[in-house]
Amino acid sequence: MIRVAVWIDIDSRSGVPIYVQLVAQVRHAVEVGGLGPGEKLPTVRGLAEELAIAPNTIVKAYNELQREGLVESRRGVGTVIAEGVAEVAREGKRRAIFERLRLLVRDAAALGITEDDLWEGLDSEFERIPREKGEEG
Amino acid sequence: MADTRAEEAVSVPESAAIQVRDLVVNYGRKRAVDGLSMTVPRGSVYGFLGPNGAGKTSTIKTLMGFRKPNGGSAKVLGYDIVDESLEVRARVGFASEVNSLYEGMTVPRICRLCRDLSRSWDQDLVDRYIGVFSLPADGKIRKLSKGQKAQLQLCLALGSNPELLILDEPTSGLDPVARRAFLKVLVGEVAAEGRTVFFSTHLLSDIEAVADTVGIIKGGKLLVSGDLDDMRESHRVFRIAYAQTPPEDEIQNLRALDGVNEVEREGRGVRLRARGDVGRVERALGDRPHQIVDVDSTGMTLEYIFVAYVEDEDGR
Repeated sequence: MIRVAVWIDIDSRSGVPIYVQLVAQVRHAVEVGGLGPGEKLPTVRGLAEELAIAPNTIVKAYNELQREGLVESRRGVGTVIAEGVAEVAREGKRRAIFERLRLLVRDAAALGITEDDLWEGLDSEFERIPREKGEEG
Repeated sequence: MADTRAEEAVSVPESAAIQVRDLVVNYGRKRAVDGLSMTVPRGSVYGFLGPNGAGKTSTIKTLMGFRKPNGGSAKVLGYDIVDESLEVRARVGFASEVNSLYEGMTVPRICRLCRDLSRSWDQDLVDRYIGVFSLPADGKIRKLSKGQKAQLQLCLALGSNPELLILDEPTSGLDPVARRAFLKVLVGEVAAEGRTVFFSTHLLSDIEAVADTVGIIKGGKLLVSGDLDDMRESHRVFRIAYAQTPPEDEIQNLRALDGVNEVEREGRGVRLRARGDVGRVERALGDRPHQIVDVDSTGMTLEYIFVAYVEDEDGR
């Protein structure tokens, strides 16, 4: 059994919901390859014992991870990291980047930076990326 | 069996572990519990938070059938607290601060006494918890520390293998280390086994550490109750940076938004506290007539949320 708890550090005093912290940290572990497809997560009871968190909160987090497609529950096995998790993680990152783009454009507009200026900046940033990658797709 | 499948665990329990409606309890001429209504969901770790004298112990004593309510009604595990109080007492594991242990007895002796008084007794379970706490298996109660006595009380409360535990100020008088150890077992073992845990405390830190649901009582009334994560989610502070200092009518318009309960100027910007549908507040901020440079939103700590509720109440 892998110890998911090594990836998880809950701050019960922060204003961030505990289940949100759990979800974000499991997601991070998946993104950095700490947890891979097919790996089994602890049972609700097991994780409640390890982290001393109310079982209901863990159920909520597992449900959210399942909704996001990061984990799936298998009969007789329990909750495991989903097979297509790399795909899901990439899609999540992609969405995060476009969200950052949205904010970037909004902030730029608020500061009076024109669309052309922004394009120029984008172009020169892309120039910096080494050629071999990206070119072939 | 040991595997918990998420879709099973999420199924809604058919009834609440504790359901209280308009409960009134008088002590002489003093009204200790004043129209209290609350629901403790099955499987929850429910923290019953309130200052001393708020009515916590009176509520618990009434739920356990030690006092008769002067009004209202309540059900514990589906049993009426007045007409079926024997059923309640047989099915609920109960420990209270005052319910002192017989100091002269040894640990095995008090276990036997409790077994004789109980309808069903699971000594293996009690022994397991005595082991979890590393309590001296045949020590004299008099020689136990305060923390160990609290632990022993919990062990004894578990003796009937109850599906619901009601604990009155279980951490009271414990030092921070002992309190932490106690709460850790309460949530990591007792609740993890699927038992509902209802405990009272006057310390927010106890709630933050282990509870998933909270009810705040003050002056015999429930001020607020609910899922702690929902509360963290539905209370946010927004710091809004405007391109130019916004005029007074903008401040008034922000105040008038649904869910906004406090707006303060902060330099050229504004600090706004929202409660409820914070998503809608956020959307409203995306569409202001005055230019906004940046919006930063953070969650509120439970301490802040609770203080706000208590102050609201005082302000009325």
